[in-house]
Amino acid sequence: MNLFRWFIVRHLRRELLRTIVTVSGVAIGIAVVLAIRLSNASSVRGFEAALESISGQVSLEVFSPGTGVQEDRLSDLQWLSEFGAVSPIIDGDVMVRAAEGNDTAELVRVLGVDILRDRPFRDYRLVDQGSSPFESPPRVTTQTFLTLLTASDSIVVTRAFAGRHGLDVGSDVEMLVGDRRVPLVVRGLLGQDGPGQMSSGNFALMDIAAAQLALNRFGAIDRIDIQLDSDWVIDEAEAAISARLPAGLSVQRPERRSAQVETMLAAFHFNLSALSYIALLVGLFLVYNAVTVSVITRRAEIGMLRAIGTSRGRILSLFLGEALIMVFVGCTLGVPFGQVLARLAVNLTASTVNTFWVAAAATVPELSLTDVGWSLLIGVPLALAGALAPAYEAAKLTPLAAVRGEPDLSIRQRVSRWYVIAPLTLFVVAGVLSRQPPVSGLPIFGLGAALAVVFGAALLVPVVLSQLQQLQRWMPWMQGVEIVIARANLGASIRRLSISVAALVVSLAMMVAIAIMIGSFRETVVYWVEQTLQADLFISGARQSPVGSRDEISRDLEQVVVNFPEVVAVDGFRAVNVSYGESTIIVGSGRFNVLLEHGNLLFKAPRNGREAMAAAIGESAVVVSESFSLRYGVQVGDQISLPTPNGSKLVSVAAVYFDYSSDRGLVVMDEPLFDRYYDDRRPSGLTVYLRDGSDAVSVREGLLSSLAQDSPVFINTNASLRQGVLEVFDSTFAITYALEVIAIFVSMFGVATTLLTLTLERRREIVMLRLAGAERSQLRWMIMAEAGLLGGVSLGLGLIVGMVLSLILIFVINVQSFGWTIQFHFPVLFLVQSSLFILMATAVSGLYPARLAARFTFADLRED
Amino acid sequence: MIREPEQLREDRPVLEATNVYKSYRRGDHVVTALNGVTLTISAGERVAVMGPSGCGKSTLLHLCGAMDRPSKGEVRLEGQRLCSLDDDQLTRLRRRQVGFVFQSFNLMPTLTVAQNIGLPLLLSGSGEGEARTAAEELAERVGLTPRLDHLPQQLSGGEVQRVAIARAVIHEPTVLIADEPTGNLDSDNGRRILELLLQLNEQSRTAIILATHDESVAHQLDRIVSLRDGQALNTAS
Repeated sequence: MNLFRWFIVRHLRRELLRTIVTVSGVAIGIAVVLAIRLSNASSVRGFEAALESISGQVSLEVFSPGTGVQEDRLSDLQWLSEFGAVSPIIDGDVMVRAAEGNDTAELVRVLGVDILRDRPFRDYRLVDQGSSPFESPPRVTTQTFLTLLTASDSIVVTRAFAGRHGLDVGSDVEMLVGDRRVPLVVRGLLGQDGPGQMSSGNFALMDIAAAQLALNRFGAIDRIDIQLDSDWVIDEAEAAISARLPAGLSVQRPERRSAQVETMLAAFHFNLSALSYIALLVGLFLVYNAVTVSVITRRAEIGMLRAIGTSRGRILSLFLGEALIMVFVGCTLGVPFGQVLARLAVNLTASTVNTFWVAAAATVPELSLTDVGWSLLIGVPLALAGALAPAYEAAKLTPLAAVRGEPDLSIRQRVSRWYVIAPLTLFVVAGVLSRQPPVSGLPIFGLGAALAVVFGAALLVPVVLSQLQQLQRWMPWMQGVEIVIARANLGASIRRLSISVAALVVSLAMMVAIAIMIGSFRETVVYWVEQTLQADLFISGARQSPVGSRDEISRDLEQVVVNFPEVVAVDGFRAVNVSYGESTIIVGSGRFNVLLEHGNLLFKAPRNGREAMAAAIGESAVVVSESFSLRYGVQVGDQISLPTPNGSKLVSVAAVYFDYSSDRGLVVMDEPLFDRYYDDRRPSGLTVYLRDGSDAVSVREGLLSSLAQDSPVFINTNASLRQGVLEVFDSTFAITYALEVIAIFVSMFGVATTLLTLTLERRREIVMLRLAGAERSQLRWMIMAEAGLLGGVSLGLGLIVGMVLSLILIFVINVQSFGWTIQFHFPVLFLVQSSLFILMATAVSGLYPARLAARFTFADLRED
Repeated sequence: MIREPEQLREDRPVLEATNVYKSYRRGDHVVTALNGVTLTISAGERVAVMGPSGCGKSTLLHLCGAMDRPSKGEVRLEGQRLCSLDDDQLTRLRRRQVGFVFQSFNLMPTLTVAQNIGLPLLLSGSGEGEARTAAEELAERVGLTPRLDHLPQQLSGGEVQRVAIARAVIHEPTVLIADEPTGNLDSDNGRRILELLLQLNEQSRTAIILATHDESVAHQLDRIVSLRDGQALNTAS
């Protein structure tokens, strides 16, 4: 242990800069992986936490697919009380704001309950605005609640929400539901107990009847919560209830909703995690570099230790110990940093998750010992693997060779033919894997193919470096003594360079692949939007999100729109979430005749999609999105069974259309069929077609002035909606770019430390050059040229491999994860810009080693 | 025709070290390597520097070769005071007027023999072709033509030193500094290297300062300077 302290710990302290760089690289790698892990968990946990706080003591819930349980069926469900306490529930997310001033509305989870029945299920505690948030307030009597919620305009909000909006008991608030503003009065404030502890306090309680009124849920409830009597076993009760429920009603445990959310997000999270591991891998290349530098600069000391009887095993363990120290410190720093990054990641991904999957307030979970343990579990084996090669090299040194300080000259330009055979084999494996189907909806083989390409490219690096000597043949203008020496040095340092160049190649290839994938996806979406967003105006409620929207556009508003002189047609869209298999899909409705006459869908199949859609009118037929078709293996002509409030209904698939609005799968039916299967709810949004030559902006102004001044509806023109779509798109992929930029920066560290290694290793040669007449500036240029050549080689290989990877991402991983066809597009400008940046950045990464080289003195040769 | 030493020498001094001192700081201690050495070398003269390890031989050679500056005293090369030159000027001076051969670590392991020989020309801005032609000529003179495209690690110890010598004289320097050039070689190879050095000296009139422990080597030169504890004890012809 003493030897370890003297030989390793002191050295790490003495070489503080290098230690800091390496530890930072590991910390960043660990932090990125942990951040993605925490942020992935947070969106599911946010949903779970909301579910848990709202579910309270609920054992089971009875629900109807999509539209809720009609009240007239409740009388037939009296028997449910045989199983325990029963409470009908209205449950929805709506926008709420203070009525006074220009308050910004927030999305609030509103629970409408029959307080007499609901008390056993949930714990509500009222507080004063001024009381301490840490005191547990007394439980309020049912009588008090009844009094509070009697009036139809009563709402109870949390103290946290009230605090943010300057509200107190008696304050006026308004709920924005579709094109209506519902005025309400705050009758009480909830503390941080029961549902009140929901994230950020975005919860409100209402009487069930008032909630039905406010949310346009006349004659229906969302579900029936059941608290089983203690003598029931939950599985048996679930089976017994399921057997007795009439068609169209189902029973499930509340937790199943979390599982469905997890399934929906699985592909998104899986792909993010895969990306984050690249940063970690690149970070661990730094460990390899650090231990290599350590071994190179301390050959004489190693020789001394060996000469006085230190065993090879001891030397090996000393250097592995060095890697362990760095990874321990890196993990310790990386874990809290990971939580900070996770908050940023949540901010970057929250809008995506909320837009496409679930509306849940995502909060980053607190760090636990498990996170630290998990980081070490991931980091330690990888660090040991990274350090093994240089540590073994140290252990192999003979006392004589080490004391003489002879540099390792066994490195030559010629590389084994295995470095050609192995990559080719891996590329063939990648080809085979990319043709395999997904596993449980996850692109496991697709990622396997990508990994095979990445490892193949990494193994190809020595071959490419060995060709550097031929550079002049291809680029005769690359003259100058600095370049001659630089390329000779690089060609002779293949073993040292290969790993860090491979790290840079991998991260660059991933960046190129992702840039091509995102660029292609964006171009495809732009084309899709141009082709399919044909309407001139889009009218929606306050909450402009299709997921779980309670918004409804009233008949009055639609009538105002229809009567507008420039308007030639109006389509209405509405959607319900429906359980399908283990996940949730969206069943939507539109007016097929309007769409066929004025709008446009891009059909994947059949070729005459418009005719197939026209033929579906009046039939039990639907059109489905491409993601639904791929995810569930459904083709044109197939029959699918859709759960409806009136039991499962068989519909035939008339056509498959391209859609990029959701990867959950969309089933769209003509409005009359939807009314028949679900209910006659109003649409949640309208698309408006204007006469040719009409000015959409002035019609929008006209419509807004025709509406009540305080109407909360949003009217988007075609142009602004297209812009909005692309904004959502860009924010969705912001995190992808962020992860890649981190990986590239970490790999730049890798190149800088490799150059540092080489520079230190060649100290005597560099001094020899000085003796032969090399000026300091020539030495600096030489090292910078080495850095530039490394950057060039890495970039060239990264571009080629990146293009291959992009094909796998676009045509395999993406299709298997999200079910989207993407047209290949090459983002030339972006790639040219980033290539120039990377070339400059790698050259700059040679600055420190270059300065160091110029500072070497002849004292390094002194042999007196 | 091989000339006699007297014919090679000119009285014009090319190198003058006057009362030079050199000390180094090692931790808290100051180590004095040279303690007031004075030495003058004429054009074409061949001087051996002898003395036990640590006596200051290499330090004296480094000062004479413009690789280091004295702590006190003055060194002039072709009349130019080295103390008055900055680092870049010293570098350019070395590139033009000084050649080096060491006991080991003489060559760039990553460059071929031809590139190593032509290195001073390349560093002076000559093109690769020009440097290659000059290197080929010199390689022929030192008997390395078949080895031009080999790497140093493929050469024997004697061949490495021949390459080092060729590189040291390719730019026709005024002074050639040779620090134990035969120290790592067997006696046969050592003899050949010395012959080569003397032959080149005769052809190019380059003055040679050669540090050695070997008296038989020293006695083949014009003059021997003995050093002990940083001081020149005597000069023998």
